[in-house]
Amino acid sequence: MKDYKYIGKDVTRIDALDKISGAATFVDDIDFGANLLYAELIESTKASALIKNIDVSEALKVKGVYKIFTGKDFHNRFGLYMKDRYVFAQERVRFVGEQIGAVVAFTPEAAKSAVSLVKVEYEPLPAVLNQMDALKSDAPLLHPEVENYPRVPWFYPKGGTNIAHWRKTRKGDLEKGFANADVILEETYSVPRYAHCALETHIAVAKFDHSGRLTVWSSSQSPHTQRNLFAEALGLSHKDVRVITPYVGGGFGGKAGVTMEIIPAVLATQLKGYAVKLRYTREQEFTNTYQRLGLIAKIKMGATKEGIITALEHQLYWDAGAYVEYGANVVNAVGLSASGPYRIDNVSIDSICVYTNLPPGGPYRGFGYSEMLFGLESHISRMAHQLNMDEVEFRRINAIKPGDKTAYGAKMNPSGLQECIDKAAKAIDWGKKPISEDPTKVIGQGFAIFWKAPAMPPNASSSAFLKFNEDATINLLISGMDIGQGYQTVMAQIAGEILSVPPAKIRVETPDTDRNPYEWQTVASHITWSCGNAVKNAALDAREQIFTLIHRVYHFPLDALYLEDEAVKCKTDPAFILPLKNFVVEGIMTEDGTFKGGPINGRGMFMPEFASTKDNPETSQGGHPNVHYTVGAAGLNLEIDQETGKMKVLKVALAIDAGKAINPDLVKGQIMGGLLQGLATVLYEDMRFNEKGKLLNPNLTDYKIPTAKDVPEEIIPIIVEVPQPDGPFGARGIGEHTMLPAAPMIANAIEDALGIRIKSLPITAEKVALTCLREKAKQ
Amino acid sequence: MSHYGLGTLKKEENMALAHTFDYQRPSTLIEALQLKAKYKDKAHFLAGGTDLIVNIREGMLKPDLLIDIKGISELLKLNWEKETLFIGSNVTFAQLIDNELVQKHFILLHDACKTIGSTGIRARATLTGNICSAVPSLDSAPALLCYEAKVHCASPESQREIPVTEWFLAPRKTALQEDEIVTGISLKRIPDSSGIYLKLGRYSGEDLAQAGWGILMTADKQYRLAHCALSPIPKRAYYIEDLLNNSNPLNADLIEKAIALIPSEINPITDIRATQEFRMYISGIMLKRGLTAIQERISGKYIEPRKLLGDV
Amino acid sequence: MKEISLILNNEPRNVQVENNEILLDVLRNKLGIKSPKCGCERGDCGACTVLLDGKAVRSCLILAVEAENHNIITLEGISREKLSALQEAFIEFNSFQCGYCAPGIILAVTELLEKNPHPSLEEIKESIAGNLCRCTGYTPIFDAIMSLTGRGAK
Repeated sequence: MKDYKYIGKDVTRIDALDKISGAATFVDDIDFGANLLYAELIESTKASALIKNIDVSEALKVKGVYKIFTGKDFHNRFGLYMKDRYVFAQERVRFVGEQIGAVVAFTPEAAKSAVSLVKVEYEPLPAVLNQMDALKSDAPLLHPEVENYPRVPWFYPKGGTNIAHWRKTRKGDLEKGFANADVILEETYSVPRYAHCALETHIAVAKFDHSGRLTVWSSSQSPHTQRNLFAEALGLSHKDVRVITPYVGGGFGGKAGVTMEIIPAVLATQLKGYAVKLRYTREQEFTNTYQRLGLIAKIKMGATKEGIITALEHQLYWDAGAYVEYGANVVNAVGLSASGPYRIDNVSIDSICVYTNLPPGGPYRGFGYSEMLFGLESHISRMAHQLNMDEVEFRRINAIKPGDKTAYGAKMNPSGLQECIDKAAKAIDWGKKPISEDPTKVIGQGFAIFWKAPAMPPNASSSAFLKFNEDATINLLISGMDIGQGYQTVMAQIAGEILSVPPAKIRVETPDTDRNPYEWQTVASHITWSCGNAVKNAALDAREQIFTLIHRVYHFPLDALYLEDEAVKCKTDPAFILPLKNFVVEGIMTEDGTFKGGPINGRGMFMPEFASTKDNPETSQGGHPNVHYTVGAAGLNLEIDQETGKMKVLKVALAIDAGKAINPDLVKGQIMGGLLQGLATVLYEDMRFNEKGKLLNPNLTDYKIPTAKDVPEEIIPIIVEVPQPDGPFGARGIGEHTMLPAAPMIANAIEDALGIRIKSLPITAEKVALTCLREKAKQ
Repeated sequence: MSHYGLGTLKKEENMALAHTFDYQRPSTLIEALQLKAKYKDKAHFLAGGTDLIVNIREGMLKPDLLIDIKGISELLKLNWEKETLFIGSNVTFAQLIDNELVQKHFILLHDACKTIGSTGIRARATLTGNICSAVPSLDSAPALLCYEAKVHCASPESQREIPVTEWFLAPRKTALQEDEIVTGISLKRIPDSSGIYLKLGRYSGEDLAQAGWGILMTADKQYRLAHCALSPIPKRAYYIEDLLNNSNPLNADLIEKAIALIPSEINPITDIRATQEFRMYISGIMLKRGLTAIQERISGKYIEPRKLLGDV
Repeated sequence: MKEISLILNNEPRNVQVENNEILLDVLRNKLGIKSPKCGCERGDCGACTVLLDGKAVRSCLILAVEAENHNIITLEGISREKLSALQEAFIEFNSFQCGYCAPGIILAVTELLEKNPHPSLEEIKESIAGNLCRCTGYTPIFDAIMSLTGRGAK
């Protein structure tokens, strides 16, 4: 194992001082001066309706109101993977909360007052509030024109239905697979929608200056993608659109792509010379930003009595909401990977993206895999029971190995799944569950394994500029977003390792699309890998420039040069030590007084050139859509109060194969944060819509996210390292994965403790208590 | 075509509540009452504000005047006289939790105070403000009902004491008259009593009660029970009290009989926090565990009510 | 509009406010203080926490006029001379990720440690139970505080 100076070390976060001192600036902290206008949205109160009339006459009379805009003013359509959304609803609304216009005023109170005076006349249309109703043959169509929407070539909508995309994966011979099975189990699992609940709500400020140049400050995971979508939607040149993203107060996927940010961007073009701010309230954060898609999954699995899985039929029906420009890719990603991390020869997956009259579904940490794995990992444990086999052993037998073929025919990358399984099982003493001293409590053990690949277009790329300063400190210009994960520090560690500069002397600024080169998005847990490679290449580029210069001036052989302690040294001449700060900007003065060299600026780029979505639409065979998978395993001991249903996680262990943990403490941070967020979706978070499609609990009073008192008693993070061959120093991403095993682990532990199988989320204390009660009554 | 407003171009200052109102901070009770008499139901008293500000922001209340009573020193009284604790209307939950007399003599109230909100809320929110909000899930109510507290009210002309059992009229409606202010709440010590307040929340963190039960046991093993979040208003459970106070001993059998009386005591609804079915069922569990816990508390054992229900 | 005086981070300040202005907004928009954040406007999340006369309170639920003649400390006041031991510990233990909740939590814990220099884990949890953090899972926050209180981190 190579010993690095910064790689693999718990380097102090380079954004720590900003955030702990209070200096860190978020969008709402920026002062925009006297010419700042405030926008408030006019929102639909109907889930499905035609807009007959919008009367703004009373609203215009409110003192302080400047202008009011509706769908008539902007026909721009936008969307990341498919253009099915409008800036403002056009002739119809498709979910409660959909924006149909905006009031722009000199104060937020004036805007709010004016919004309450806008009178909208609707002609209600029938609505479908779940995916199964939307699939019925007589269901009203949300997007009759879906087949005409511009979209990426790997989406397959079905005209005449509410199916926006249908990903089919077919491998082997399903019938034969079931015929060879000794045990077959069929079941349906359901997962509702969830909210991200980042502490900072969505916010964007846009300014269209007198030269016609648009600048947008947004809390976003995707500045370049935003710039692209704004430029396209507005018909502006990319160089005339600038997106600046300062610190982001949590993203979790909700701030990827473009949602509300396009509204101020578009409004600004009609408000030349002013800046206009739209800041979401917590309520709007719930009702009109991406939500995690809902899922109903039908699983049929067959296995031999020796425990080999012979067949899997997995049908996933997704409640994707009124607009699926991003959510359809969640459906696609899972449609390719719903075999789970298993080697199964005969697989059939149907992943169906269904329009419903609910808020748009979109990216959420895990990108569909949490939802899918709830059913699959629950099912796997049940199969093991049917086979009278240990649940962990059943998983070991069937776990996918490097080189095995995935469901769509690509080869599984190097990964330490067996090691993760072994370590997680050992950490919770699998098989030896403790007995509670309290007679009202029972303890169960639950286990789950997981995997996920970045879901990205095949040409998702990263680039980096690395600029030395006179004192040999470095500015690293990259467009990834630190949404909390510590990515800036990891990038500094990579650059620092190659250039022998301590990370504390490297500044990684938040992105500005004018200055920082292109990064696709900070999503998919891919930027450690992708941007890490770009940064590594930029550092290597700078290093090569340095060595070339030294060689030119001092004539040392190139391969004898190395960097150490911020200086160039030479293996063949130990006396030679030239500090970087002597020349990285100023160049080197030679004997005749002339200077050689000049400012050292490195440039790096990474784009996978092996990924492809060109496949058979009926089978998904032939493509290479996923660059690699990250795998892991987790187990927990769960104590359940049988009478109140309250559950306490006594101990949870999560093992993940990070390839190379560039900053182990940050990996552990993701494990702790992700686990708690995952457990919250099972145990507390509970989105309730009424029969009219209105969200009943759009606040943190009644949508419960964990507090300091809801933390498991003991969390054991385990880092496994089987290097990713094309990752920087062997690293691959882990940020989303730590959420994935929570839901099935809890369901499995409950079955272990109480003999009850719960097949729908959330699993609240009330649900457990009443289920126990009903089971007892049956006996 | 976009719509142009008639708004002025004058830049006004920033973020505020959408509703405007006058604000006064009187230093005496008389001043406060005079202001209230003048504005009647268009004036609201402001103490902690943790409820009031939210209600104004969300458009539920539109006062013309806020009367900030935090400057009235006599309302900050927290004193002990003739075995009676007087809690002035400016006393916060944080102060009550830290108060030795509350810890020693009014354990139910101490339990309840600890369950309300979080430290940042309890530093401002007052017991009086809590009972004036009169929401069905009012955590302080069961304790006050069990201790048979008195709500002290003053008007410009007179003063009176309203027994807390007559205080709650309907959700968000109390017996307070339009020209009155609550000056405080008094509780008379019940010698050698013990009790417990059990609150069921959806998790260990801060929550509004799905169900709340307060149980008080006097020295001669007489019980008083009260509940919140299970009926339109918090109430005493007289049928169960009757049963427990006229039967002996307190054994599993008697507890089952008490549980069987729950449907005649409470009238829960299904809402976003819990179903009616669950509230009925869990009340039985809370009753059983609460009654057992009191016996343990009497014997000197330290009981943390949240832990009794499976929380941390 | 009326002018009120208050002590902000140990400095006397005057500011013009309307009756209906919220303390959080006045701090952020008129007094140059940016560390307390708006997260929910209902007192549920704790991101707006400031110290009012030494006690952690939710500034989104307090009118600016109520703060007249009172003493307010925000994170900027704590960071002015040099970082406190608590802040150093937060950096050491990575007790933050996105940083949005950090100001509120640091102030709440600052109050706790002033009253109780050796809190138990339960007391620590109770003191920050009203400060939501979506990123860290809270454990690194506990570890940082425990490292200061002589009870040792995990």
